[in-house]
Amino acid sequence: MRKRLRLALALFMAFGLVAAACGSDATDVVDSAGEAVADAAESAQDTVEDVAEDAADVATDDGAEDDATAEEGADTIVGTIKIGAALSETGKFSVEGKDSRQGYDTWAKWVNEEYGGIQLPDGRYEVEIVYYDDESDADTAANLVQRLIDEDGVEFLLGPYSSGLTTGASAISEAADVIMVEGNGTSDSMFERDFQNLFLVATVASDYTKSGIEAFAAKGAKTAVVAYEDTSFPTAVANGAIKHLEDNGIEVLAVETYPKDPTDLSPIISKFRELEPDIFIGGGHYIDAVLFTNAADDVGFAPDGMLITVGPSNPKLIDELGDSVEGVVGPTQWEPTMAYSGEWLGSAQDFATRYESYWGEAPVYQAASAAASGLALHIAIEQAGTTDTAAVREALRAMNVDTFYGPIGFDDRGVNTSKPMGTVQVQDGAINVVAPDGAAIADFSYPRGN
Amino acid sequence: MDTLVQALINGIAVGGFLTLMVLGFSIIWGVMGVINFAHGEFIMVGAYMAWFARSEWGVEPLYSALPIFLIMFVVGFVLQKLVVNKVIDRPHLVSLLVMFAVSIIMSNSVKLIAGADFRRVNSDIQRGFWELGDIATIPRKHTVVLVVAIIVLVALQTFLQKTRLGKSIRAAAQNREAAQIVGIDIKWVYAFTFALCIGITAMSGALTSTIIPVFPFMGPPWALRAFVITALSGLGSVKGTLGAAMFLGLLESLVATYAPGSSGSQLAVITAFGLLVVTLVLRPQGLFGGLRPVDAGGH
Repeated sequence: MRKRLRLALALFMAFGLVAAACGSDATDVVDSAGEAVADAAESAQDTVEDVAEDAADVATDDGAEDDATAEEGADTIVGTIKIGAALSETGKFSVEGKDSRQGYDTWAKWVNEEYGGIQLPDGRYEVEIVYYDDESDADTAANLVQRLIDEDGVEFLLGPYSSGLTTGASAISEAADVIMVEGNGTSDSMFERDFQNLFLVATVASDYTKSGIEAFAAKGAKTAVVAYEDTSFPTAVANGAIKHLEDNGIEVLAVETYPKDPTDLSPIISKFRELEPDIFIGGGHYIDAVLFTNAADDVGFAPDGMLITVGPSNPKLIDELGDSVEGVVGPTQWEPTMAYSGEWLGSAQDFATRYESYWGEAPVYQAASAAASGLALHIAIEQAGTTDTAAVREALRAMNVDTFYGPIGFDDRGVNTSKPMGTVQVQDGAINVVAPDGAAIADFSYPRGN
Repeated sequence: MDTLVQALINGIAVGGFLTLMVLGFSIIWGVMGVINFAHGEFIMVGAYMAWFARSEWGVEPLYSALPIFLIMFVVGFVLQKLVVNKVIDRPHLVSLLVMFAVSIIMSNSVKLIAGADFRRVNSDIQRGFWELGDIATIPRKHTVVLVVAIIVLVALQTFLQKTRLGKSIRAAAQNREAAQIVGIDIKWVYAFTFALCIGITAMSGALTSTIIPVFPFMGPPWALRAFVITALSGLGSVKGTLGAAMFLGLLESLVATYAPGSSGSQLAVITAFGLLVVTLVLRPQGLFGGLRPVDAGGH
């Protein structure tokens, strides 16, 4: 009943507006008001009072007021851009899933409350993100992406957490010709599929350990062991690490893999202890960092250097493990101390301050990557001047901007190749960027504790 | 360092904490015929209680384990009376579904209360390792759990063999109707058994919280392991649980250490589940002779 009333009111106003515009020759106003009304009728989201006020504002007899209203129209919210994301609220990626969601929401909150909405020629558009919990399961993530497209009618997608989940989810979005921008699924293999609609703002997995291994080599490390979970992302990181180790003249003494959801890594770490390597490289996710550290504590494995893929850049790991992670090294896509800045969301430090004010905790790089994904999509839509998929895709491909997250510029695969990967080290309980040289704020400590 | 000795120590260490973790699951299934799908969640709750006690009051998990046992004993008793007891006479699938629902409620409730973050419980007592000369290292965390596991096993075995209530529990496991005919209060036996097992399970979570990461959804892998060990041991067998847990721990450790190539840990998992299939097909009463075979016990 209420919907019908709105529709009738909208049609009535459209008629009145056209009549008023014809009288004043203000064709811009006609277009703008017509679209505004059509949008109101379609989405049925504006209140009857709001629509009536808009109509009253626009339908004036004064020509000067018409022009002023047209300019104001570009700054008024005329609609909503609906974006979907499947994220892990439960399961093994629940920590990273929460960080990713807070990252997406930081961007969306800033767009809606401070930036004033995404600017298109006919006015500004608020952002609405529809979330579902993928339970850290790849099949569930893919099904939910299908649901977001088919039932929720989202126009764009933001990525889930992890390469395993993004691989399946992006196949669905590619088939439906819906753009997915993401920052937390970095496995190289995802970008060897000639997909047209998948864009990654972060550095790919194979380069995660590059600057860290170069730092180890520069300090004289000669031998290494590698252990990783035998799933998409850790495998890509480990394969990249093995290549970078060889490139830097570091001998790989042993490589061990383990299945998903490990509960104890002591047997692997015990084997490594016998080999007495200079450095240990562990590929996995946050929970693996806890298990590696536990196992090293339990069996007395203390190599000069430890590099763990996910975890050392997260303050929570230090809170939970304390001294056990002192000197541990890890890659980071982003840190608040990095000297990146852009016209949206300010500098890296500004982003961190804003994030902390929203969520009461400092952002980890997964959160920044998520926010940067939303921002890249936002910039592309504005540069395209439309939400049309083909136009936004072209805008993403042509993008070359500086942001709080670092430079963003996508190659033919859809990978941001403009941003280098950083390396952090836990030093006296603080997370300091130690490589590459341009981003470092502290000296690299090697052997650990020196 | 001697690789074999270290592999054996690792295997025994893992076997110790698996024993403690699985005991409650095995006895509930053996005595009551209830597959406790929420077993992993009771481990999780015990681990969170230990984490809370450690982070808020600085109490070592070794010391908070007994109070946690008592609290969860009461929780288990109430849960059995209010929920499990109502469905125990219905087909197995009903109690399994009820416990599945309980597991979902528990994990999501803990997530709401404590958040989804991973926790590790730090312990001064259980930290580090002892060196066995130049031969191997012995992890302290696992040793403490192993010692407690042995104490619990001895106490439980004595209780089941020597006390009237223990004998009633064994009688109820072997033949429910006959036990009732000779005057055993079966409802009391079930409530006590369930409460005891939930208490032991939560206590195992408290003690192993120093070893494994604690988070709301940590339960399912442990419930899966409980299935494997129970099937290997035979339902409700205290000694069998120890034997099967040690066997599995040693098997996984030795395969992981000596398997060629880089996939030892993966082969260990395949071997464990391969053994489960073989056992269920060829010896459903379990390798160590439990109170009854896995396929028995339907009401």
